[in-house]
Amino acid sequence: MSSRDYLGEFEHLIVLAVLRLADEAYGVTVRQEIESRTKREVSIGAVYATLDRLEDKGYVKSHLSDPTPERGGRSKRYFEVTAKGIRAVNRMRHALQNMAEGLELIRSYP
Amino acid sequence: MTNESRIRPPQVASWLVSLFASAKDETLQGDLLEEFSLLASNSGASVAQRWYWRQTLRSIVHLFVSEFRAAPWSTAAIVVAGFFLTKILFPLPEKAIFAVIEKYRIFDSHFDLYVFFAGDGIALSHVITSMLVGCSVALAARRKEMIATGALALMFCGMTALASLVWIARGNTSMLWSTLPWNFADWIAMLSAAAVIRTLRSPETHLASSA
Repeated sequence: MSSRDYLGEFEHLIVLAVLRLADEAYGVTVRQEIESRTKREVSIGAVYATLDRLEDKGYVKSHLSDPTPERGGRSKRYFEVTAKGIRAVNRMRHALQNMAEGLELIRSYP
Repeated sequence: MTNESRIRPPQVASWLVSLFASAKDETLQGDLLEEFSLLASNSGASVAQRWYWRQTLRSIVHLFVSEFRAAPWSTAAIVVAGFFLTKILFPLPEKAIFAVIEKYRIFDSHFDLYVFFAGDGIALSHVITSMLVGCSVALAARRKEMIATGALALMFCGMTALASLVWIARGNTSMLWSTLPWNFADWIAMLSAAAVIRTLRSPETHLASSA
């Protein structure tokens, strides 16, 4: 397993957001999901730059919807997480759990 | 149709996004428009416009980096070619101006004109040369016009920053203040030329929002 198999922090957030949104995962909803859950402002450019990178790595795949007038005649690009993406999320979760194990005492620090 | 549904995003911001977004990023522009319309109807036009501008400026940085990373070697090759083209072209107008000055002995008959040509005239010729370089780089970097030209402008910006530090260290700040505005004009000229090429090439890129 190479270091490239690990997700970066923002990549991790994006994959989790796409998983949470299931069939409704496109730019707007992914951005809003991360913003509402992490309370940090996220730009749509950052979301797409990361989604493109994740698609290149094979962690997500996308398809276009039909164009709609309320979007200026533009399509929505829906995303879904691939099996490889789910494996990467699981690896991250196990790695984080292993790193956090036995660190309950840290709560006593200010 | 309600007032809210007629509110359009800032045209310049929309244009800037379309300059940096690739063809497949038309969905990004659709997303921006969708959220803008929602925000405008919920919170008002001014809040939505401020949000749109914030999103635009932050997104451009990410689009610039991701587009560069998508084809780093070909983009870097065009940037390096643009750098050498600049180095070749920049001295030419200067030589031509001084050849004319020498031939017609302008410094004897029209000293003020000589001072203008030898100072601002050369600086102006550099702005025009920068536009030519910007056009050439943009033409070579198809679909990445702003990325390649922006990277070249950033390279010159970095070199100017280094030169400025040297001038400051030597206490020659007057040189710095006389040169910096013209350098800034060179980068703007370069980017403007690339923006024109990009706009002409892409039928989807236009000032009027298609909202």
